[in-house]
Amino acid sequence: MEWFMWFTRFENTKPLALLIFFTVFCGILVYLFGSKKRGKRLESYKNMPFLDDDQDNKNRNNKDVQS
Amino acid sequence: MATSSIAFSEQYNYDVIRKFTIMAMVWAAVGMLVGVYIASELAFPILNFDIPYITFGRLRPVHTGAVIFGFGGSALFATSYYIVQRTCQARLFGGVKAANFTFWGWQSIIVLAALGDVLGYSQGWEYAEMEWPIDLLIAVVWVVYGVIFIGTIMKRKEPHIYVANWFYMAFILATALLHIFHNLVIPVSLTKSYPLFAGVQDAMMQWWYGHNAVGFFLTAAFLGMMYYFVPKQAGRPVYSYRLSVVHFWAISFLYMWAGTHHLHWTAIPDWTSTLAATFSIMLLLPSWGGMINGIMTLSGAWDKLRTDPIMRFLIVALSFYGMSTFEGPMMSLKDVNALSHYTDWTVGHVHSGALGWVAMISFGSLYHMIPRLWNTTVYNEKLINVHFWLATIGILLYIVSMWISGIMQGLMWRAFDDFGNLQYSFAESVAAMHPYYAMRALGGAFFLTGMLVMCYNMTKTIRKSTAVAIGSAAVPA
Amino acid sequence: MEHDKIERNIGLMLVLTMIAISVGGMVEVLPLFFLKDTVETVKTADGKDMVRPYSPLEQIGRDIYIREGCYLCHSQMIRPFRDEALRYGHYSLAAESKYDHPFQWGSKRTGPDLARVGGKYSNDWQVQHLTAPRSMVPESVMPNYPWLIRNKLDYSDIQDKMRALRTTGVPYSNSQGEYKRNVTQFGEDVAKTLHIPDAEKTLVAQAQLGNYDNNKDDITEMDALVAYLQVLGTMVDFSKFDDDYFAKFR
Repeated sequence: MEWFMWFTRFENTKPLALLIFFTVFCGILVYLFGSKKRGKRLESYKNMPFLDDDQDNKNRNNKDVQS
Repeated sequence: MATSSIAFSEQYNYDVIRKFTIMAMVWAAVGMLVGVYIASELAFPILNFDIPYITFGRLRPVHTGAVIFGFGGSALFATSYYIVQRTCQARLFGGVKAANFTFWGWQSIIVLAALGDVLGYSQGWEYAEMEWPIDLLIAVVWVVYGVIFIGTIMKRKEPHIYVANWFYMAFILATALLHIFHNLVIPVSLTKSYPLFAGVQDAMMQWWYGHNAVGFFLTAAFLGMMYYFVPKQAGRPVYSYRLSVVHFWAISFLYMWAGTHHLHWTAIPDWTSTLAATFSIMLLLPSWGGMINGIMTLSGAWDKLRTDPIMRFLIVALSFYGMSTFEGPMMSLKDVNALSHYTDWTVGHVHSGALGWVAMISFGSLYHMIPRLWNTTVYNEKLINVHFWLATIGILLYIVSMWISGIMQGLMWRAFDDFGNLQYSFAESVAAMHPYYAMRALGGAFFLTGMLVMCYNMTKTIRKSTAVAIGSAAVPA
Repeated sequence: MEHDKIERNIGLMLVLTMIAISVGGMVEVLPLFFLKDTVETVKTADGKDMVRPYSPLEQIGRDIYIREGCYLCHSQMIRPFRDEALRYGHYSLAAESKYDHPFQWGSKRTGPDLARVGGKYSNDWQVQHLTAPRSMVPESVMPNYPWLIRNKLDYSDIQDKMRALRTTGVPYSNSQGEYKRNVTQFGEDVAKTLHIPDAEKTLVAQAQLGNYDNNKDDITEMDALVAYLQVLGTMVDFSKFDDDYFAKFR
């Protein structure tokens, strides 16, 4: 377990962690927001909760719908 | 004949959701009542009445158990079953029996835990006082819950899994992981056991559990609630789906590192608490990303805040989420923590999250869900507004009094006189807390009153629905 | 791989989430079980461990402390600050709670820290304070615990308790071999109190000798709880160490 000691010193751990996480974070951002086409596709899923809206209103008949 | 005309109440298993919904409100009222009582005990210790079963030390776990696992847990079961069925367009996996098992299992866990607390059977860990037989029961119920939830997702009609379900899934997974590893004990008898780990290691396990219970039970899962009910109530999709992707992965990854900030300046090795503080600061980003995502969903329809009290609950909940997730990283800074730790500031912080975020988002979601579950309309819309204001005033009284008392405690403990001696005895700091403890109890009473208004309003709503059902049965069309 | 793929595959999503939530715990928790520096070595000049497991009476007292939920208002963890040193004493060492199943560091000081309360007050003071706190400290908000002195101590399961703790790694001895090991590690006087077959005898003897509740006829819950409170923070003799010695473990 000696090699593990290297990780217990934060003068090593801090910059290393920062480097790794920041790169991954930027990677994710570039992936998500970098391409317009991909963005459009990913955003299209946000309408899912409304797929059942017609049905919801029909079931609730003429009753006053919230919102 | 057309399938689309089948009522949701038949297409989906609404029965188990209705049961969990009712119990969420019952446990909220019970848990908050106990909370107000123990807050009063701290202001007026005579209320302990020399009765072992109702002393602060034994009722406090009853309070935390009833509100976190009773109210929070039941609300999460209800909303997760509701959301997973509706976004997957599939009936709950495993049939009626499995779903009902999770209901009766979970309710008996809360009752047994409360009984155990009152009788003094305790494992001696905060938020995990239940002795090992109850822990085993929790594990069984949780596995069945996980199977039902994942099973329902697997038989979904839509190819895509909606984001709310990701959060619920992470919550189920993380809670299982935390619960099992944290509760490793060696039993002595049915009512007594000793933890496998001691001292430093046990402390680490406890706050890995304790903080992530906050992170996944009280945050991730309620974010699932947010991602469904805020768009539904606003009538418009979530602000940015891509932001929710970042939100989900960042929360899942970062939260698990932050637990040791509960152990700053203790005998735990410094590197663990430094690491935890660093990750706590990083957590601010996804937390605020999520908050912005929720609030901006309303962009272009801000007038709803004026007209729709349910929307107001949801949006104010998100504001409190933003405030708590700013305060948390700040308190995880070692220098701030040196002052805030062991004081009422921590208690205030917890409650701005628990009352402001968890309870408010649950109230909004339950108000949205109940009329749909019982196929009716709300009995009295104005009472929702009354509830909102009672709750808001209650929270403000609570956290302001705890800020004052917490910072005052911290400063009094570290105050020196001109000769370098301690300026105040501990007892003097206790005496100084009295007015704030009374004010906190009052704040709690406001919040509880609001809860009782909700119980009344929703009872009337549900009654109305059943009355209509009986009436229409008597007069066939 | 596109993210949509994860969003359509629950199995993949489960696995990736599991990985995401596991990393933090593994990096922070696991090393504490392996790194030698986590818990200090605290020995006397003749090489005996200063920190010892609780005697049977103290351990039952500790169970009562947990039963009454004392940890919800009292911490047992002194931080390395000047005000805490003046108010409570030397900051707490990891070694001082190495036999604490569970740890009782606490998270809130509605009442004062108790990590070094042992020996600070007389037995009589503790008994009177536990029975009626406001008779000793008028500002106190602590509940009265009048039943502690009324309830006879139930120690019928003390051997079971010690055996369970032994399973977790606390060096209570169950055989002559283990007893001899304890003599080497803690000295003969301490080793005797850790021997499981003699537990009841040891417990009664300590209660009689200590007479914590000022009543020789009965052994009460008060005896056990006060015995526990009086040992808190007293095991390590800090006069035997340089100030720098403990700093290197932090």
